[in-house]
Amino acid sequence: MAGLATTFGSGAMTNSINEIENAQVILVSGSNTTEAHPQIARRMLDAVDRGAKLIVIDPRKTLLAEFADIHLDIRPGTDIPLLNAMMRIILDENLVDDLFIEMRTENYYQLRDMLYRLDLDEAAKTTGVELSKIYKAAQLYAQAQKSVICYCLGITQHICGTRNVQSLANLAMMTGNVEKGDTGVDPLRGQNNVQGACDMGALPNVFPSYQPVGNIDFREKFEAAWKVNLPSKSGCTLMEMTHSGKDGPIRAMYIMGENPMLSDPVLSKVEETLRNLEFLAVADIFLTETAKLAHVVFPAASFAEKTGTFTNTERRVQMVRPAIAPIGNCRTDADIISALALRLGYAMDYDSPAEIMEEIAMLAPIYGGMQHDRLEACWGLQWPCWDRSHPGTQFLHKYYFTRGKGHFVPTEHEPPSEMPDKKYPFLLITGRIYHHYHTGTMTRKSSTLNRECNEALLQINQVDADQLKVRNGETLKVTSRRGEIKLTAEISEQVKPGSVYTTFHFAEAPINLLCIDTWDPLANCPEYKVCAVKVTKP
Amino acid sequence: MNDKLTLKKDHLPAFLRKLSKDYRLVAPIKNRHGDTIFTRIDSSNSASLDLDNQPQNSIKQFMLPQREVLFSYHAKTETGYEFNPTDQINEPTIFFGVRSCDLSAILYMDVTFLQGITDSHYLEKRTNSVFIGLNCNQPFANCFCNATKSGPFLEFGADLQFTDIGDRFLVEVGRSKGIKIVEKWGHFFSAAEEKENKQQYQAFLEARGSFTRLVHVDQAIKRLQENSVPEKVWNQLSLRCQDCGGCAYICPTCTCFTITDCPLTKNTGERIRSWDACTFSGFTRMTGGHNPVSKKTEAIRQRFMHKLCYDVKKHGRPSCVGCGRCVDICFGGTDILRFINLACEGS
Amino acid sequence: MQDVLTTCVYCGCGCGVYLQAENGRVVGSTASRNHPVSRNNLCVKGWHLHEFIHHPDRLTEPLIRKKGKLVPTSWDEALDYTAKELARIRDQTDNQGIGVLSSAKCTNEENYLLQKFTRAVLQTNNIDHCARL
Repeated sequence: MAGLATTFGSGAMTNSINEIENAQVILVSGSNTTEAHPQIARRMLDAVDRGAKLIVIDPRKTLLAEFADIHLDIRPGTDIPLLNAMMRIILDENLVDDLFIEMRTENYYQLRDMLYRLDLDEAAKTTGVELSKIYKAAQLYAQAQKSVICYCLGITQHICGTRNVQSLANLAMMTGNVEKGDTGVDPLRGQNNVQGACDMGALPNVFPSYQPVGNIDFREKFEAAWKVNLPSKSGCTLMEMTHSGKDGPIRAMYIMGENPMLSDPVLSKVEETLRNLEFLAVADIFLTETAKLAHVVFPAASFAEKTGTFTNTERRVQMVRPAIAPIGNCRTDADIISALALRLGYAMDYDSPAEIMEEIAMLAPIYGGMQHDRLEACWGLQWPCWDRSHPGTQFLHKYYFTRGKGHFVPTEHEPPSEMPDKKYPFLLITGRIYHHYHTGTMTRKSSTLNRECNEALLQINQVDADQLKVRNGETLKVTSRRGEIKLTAEISEQVKPGSVYTTFHFAEAPINLLCIDTWDPLANCPEYKVCAVKVTKP
Repeated sequence: MNDKLTLKKDHLPAFLRKLSKDYRLVAPIKNRHGDTIFTRIDSSNSASLDLDNQPQNSIKQFMLPQREVLFSYHAKTETGYEFNPTDQINEPTIFFGVRSCDLSAILYMDVTFLQGITDSHYLEKRTNSVFIGLNCNQPFANCFCNATKSGPFLEFGADLQFTDIGDRFLVEVGRSKGIKIVEKWGHFFSAAEEKENKQQYQAFLEARGSFTRLVHVDQAIKRLQENSVPEKVWNQLSLRCQDCGGCAYICPTCTCFTITDCPLTKNTGERIRSWDACTFSGFTRMTGGHNPVSKKTEAIRQRFMHKLCYDVKKHGRPSCVGCGRCVDICFGGTDILRFINLACEGS
Repeated sequence: MQDVLTTCVYCGCGCGVYLQAENGRVVGSTASRNHPVSRNNLCVKGWHLHEFIHHPDRLTEPLIRKKGKLVPTSWDEALDYTAKELARIRDQTDNQGIGVLSSAKCTNEENYLLQKFTRAVLQTNNIDHCARL
């Protein structure tokens, strides 16, 4: 998010999902799209059916990679040297869009100077991909009229996540593949309303619609609307809160519908923090690993029991409608928050979620024309939608970038903070699988989904399996410098020798015990994708 | 079906209103989002009856619901288990506007659930159902019922069968339930004249000639029977399968289900029957972990063998009624039309 | 049986899905033919969206920790106690000691309210959610 915000001025997907099927070249990086975003994978494969070229950058041979014209199976954490090499080739081959760079961007010469210093053979060696394949990919991407880049957490969950994103943005701007339909840079958001939670200002530094809390004008606007003085200092990030430790500054927490006890890195540290809070309140639909540590647990209504809106990855704000009344004694989170606010002497007087949305539309310019009555009458609206006559926005940065001019940020390789060594010889990659969602709070309770997949498997290459004398289905112990867990072996050609892969959905096998607690300093995104482990028979 | 009648289109709303007094009336309704779905008709939505678009669901969900309580149980320490039938009431229901494919599918489900061991839950719903069919004058985009011999006009199975002949419907009266309705609401109907009978025949001929897809179902069946579908076809199909189960769920003849015991409290619970799909790995996986259909290619093969080969052998006809719904619902490239085309390639 | 169109919660695609409700229970999930994203299909998660809603493990009563154990309580007691503790710690730490995690699974309206609550009532910007996980 921080990556695209600094280069383009907005961290959201520039295109719409349906535009992807019209692209001529699709470059997918760090996204297991068929499993994590089935609808988007469908567009990609439809495009391939119609003759589009597909480039997949992934250390694993994912299902999508099977359909790829070029699969760049890089060493994990070497995205920057790969992308820089591609850009150098584009430069050498004179496939640069000079007019676009001149009219719409700034700071290009700094990038160009850096690229001229790049040694292509050295870069290819770092990534572990043959130079000829990189050549082919670069030409393919740059020569097409409409090339689209899709990326996901395989790009951002690295110590250099922000710079990875900036590199992708550089590549797109250098070839003029932004600001038009069917071409752009698209971060695929993993959770159903992660885009909306960001838009709503559930972030430590911005009000709704990304208006900085440190800016006096914005603060005064919200102070006038909310009739209260507001703090100007940016707050703590999630990792600063959940890793604040036994004697950290955070003494109490209110957690709504999140499960940091399974989703955050170095769970032992999270547990230490949460256990030592003076007060912890959790609102959730199930007694999650986090809720079990709480002093008070509120039973929340599920999505099927309330009215509201979600914002999907293409910035489409859509209605959520109740099919039933809250079960048992459950209440919606909006009701719980309002009741707490009232007890703390601040009235939140809303008749309905529609009235809350009216307030959002007043204060968040990108949601300016999004009232429930409008959203009810259509299939949702894509922000920015400035007023009630605005039809919403299919793709971003038309005519000019949100920040004015697109900003090139030259980036250089930064190796992952922990690489395999003698003691911990395997590289552990983590991700999602098709049948489950996030911490499994909901999907693990679904009988069919849980039947289809009810244990975390450790993907391991045949070569390594032979060496360890392990067969399919055998239990393996995976140890890192931070912890150990047991997983079932699945021999797979998807991973290369020396790498293993598993998922974080399962409370029985909390993989985040093992992950390293380093994070990207610019975006605070944990380095989930790479750490060193030892794999043994228990 | 000897007695042919007519019903003026102008009188259809009034006729349906009368029916809805005695029955739960289910018909295709275009909802406010623009989707046409088989739904219960009441005064709030009766104006949105949509006979111009194919309903996105079939009436399978009313006969075999996605999730159905079979019975409830109560574990008692003294007397052991106590079982109670569900309190689900199956209201007498009229399904109006059922297309030939969907009605053929009901006849197929009868074979599954009523021949041999009778499924009491299905039987009760079936006994309480009246089907008013509607012949298709114009096939929809993905239809191929001509190739599966289940449309576009239906010859038997409906209680009343409607055909659109301009400003009126020609009505053929089927079984006793249809006779009962026609007798009770006789003033809505007139006896059909020779001209109207001819109009119906003309509509039938035109409908037969207006299919946009040429689908070689018979040839695909033959190839499956000869076991001459190349391995690469299965590989190609399985690579694109997203394992969503949508084809089985939307199919009007797919009746695979699974049984789960769902606890409600510590010692009470319900036994649930819910839809399942033969392409899911959990469908065939045994308790010990062995799976006889362990690969995606095998699961896809199993699906098409069942629909187009095993069922032909067993019942003399494929368990595909050519409604084309699975073509639209598939994530791409694994649907039955794609299979048939691939299987028949080069012959 | 009533079909209610809503938005799927299982990923960022945002498929339209009909939940089928009958006698206060959600008994099925089906696709929407005209929805611009899902275009008549759903993935395996969407087709089974209804299955977790009535799971017996759903929380249905507020819980409060007494003598180390979480026990059922009334809404009033849970809310009163929470409000009291939040006020106490807010005041004792000079507005610095409370952290709030919002949710990428809750609605926009709820996220808006929680950040408003955090900023206006708890007087801190310590609010975040797992955008990066």
